[in-house]
Amino acid sequence: MRAGEHPPDGCERSADAAAYVLGALEPAEAEAFRQHLAGCALCQEEIDSLRPAVQALPMSAPQRPAPRPLRRRVMRAVRAELRASAPRRRAFALRGLRARAALGGIAAAAALGIGLGVGLGLSGSPSGRLIRAQVLGISGSAELRLSSGRGELIVRHLSPPPPGEVYEVWLKPPGSKPVPASVLFTVDQRGEAVVGLPGSLRGIGAVMVTPEPRGGTTAPTHSPVIVARLT
Amino acid sequence: MELVRGEDVRAFEVVFDRHGGAAYSLAYRICGSRSRAEDIVQEAFLALWRNSARYDPLRGSVRAWILSVVHNRAIDALRREAVEAQRVRDEFLSEQLSGSESTEAEAEKRDDARRVRLALEQLPSEQRRVIELAYFGGFTHSEIAGMLGLPAGTVKGRMRLGLSKLRFALGAGLAP
Repeated sequence: MRAGEHPPDGCERSADAAAYVLGALEPAEAEAFRQHLAGCALCQEEIDSLRPAVQALPMSAPQRPAPRPLRRRVMRAVRAELRASAPRRRAFALRGLRARAALGGIAAAAALGIGLGVGLGLSGSPSGRLIRAQVLGISGSAELRLSSGRGELIVRHLSPPPPGEVYEVWLKPPGSKPVPASVLFTVDQRGEAVVGLPGSLRGIGAVMVTPEPRGGTTAPTHSPVIVARLT
Repeated sequence: MELVRGEDVRAFEVVFDRHGGAAYSLAYRICGSRSRAEDIVQEAFLALWRNSARYDPLRGSVRAWILSVVHNRAIDALRREAVEAQRVRDEFLSEQLSGSESTEAEAEKRDDARRVRLALEQLPSEQRRVIELAYFGGFTHSEIAGMLGLPAGTVKGRMRLGLSKLRFALGAGLAP
């Protein structure tokens, strides 16, 4: 092995640091390294040293201007949300819930290195349909709000996921296996969260939630704790 | 960002104009698809709009935050697609790694982008390759080891060496 390919002296785990900041450790390895980081100043220093290089990598992509139609799409969605947000908050008396859930989501994403699950163009129109979801084996309640084919999962007083785990959302087409919705979330101290579901829910039979290891999985490994049936 | 926190749509337009191109470029580099890249960028900016009140400048720049969300979502989409479609990895490699080859043909307007690209291109190819496979391809070190026929430790070592050199090459221009 050439010079420089050895991990730095002092902690053999620091050999995983580069793969960690690149998001290239296996999920179980990443979780173990994350826990190790909490008590290893050397590895944390290594992470702090390498992370700026990773943060610069996006700029190595050939730079293209954002298409004008994309700009119009984004701004149209933003204006729609702005118009919808006030009546929605009044109608459902959930002022602050989204912000608190968003805070939890961001914190979780930042801590876990995962993507935030956010909804697209969620309409807050009063015509939205509210589906009460089953909560299985844990305490709390959950509702799925549907509007224009898109959904938002609202949980209250929900038990937090077990230590080291997060809640992962699944979309189950009728007669098919559930597929990941690419949304991971946790709840705040009051067990509350508002979780936007990306994409359309058309053709989906049920929205489910399972506790999964941090970082999520590609197939459920636990029984669902929340099931919202759409059909 | 203070204005965006105040739900100022015009301020948000400025934010999009300032960072939309970099976000779209990253998403396109990872996905190789215009429509998917647009979806991902839209999701990222809507997330920013919804969560702007929680933006903490002490934890990084707005650009870093947006690009982090774009990266996570693009890689997630890539992995999901790979699982669902059983995509052939060799095809992916040949398509995705062509980015650096086409670099010279790209109209380059941003000095920092050119600087990062040059620094990456100056890395030994074996180090650049594992970094690109991990960051832009979303592959784990063990997947890369399997693809390249290398021990996992060698892959991780090359990642570390490459990132260290990149950090050194970019020097003080990088935010800590």
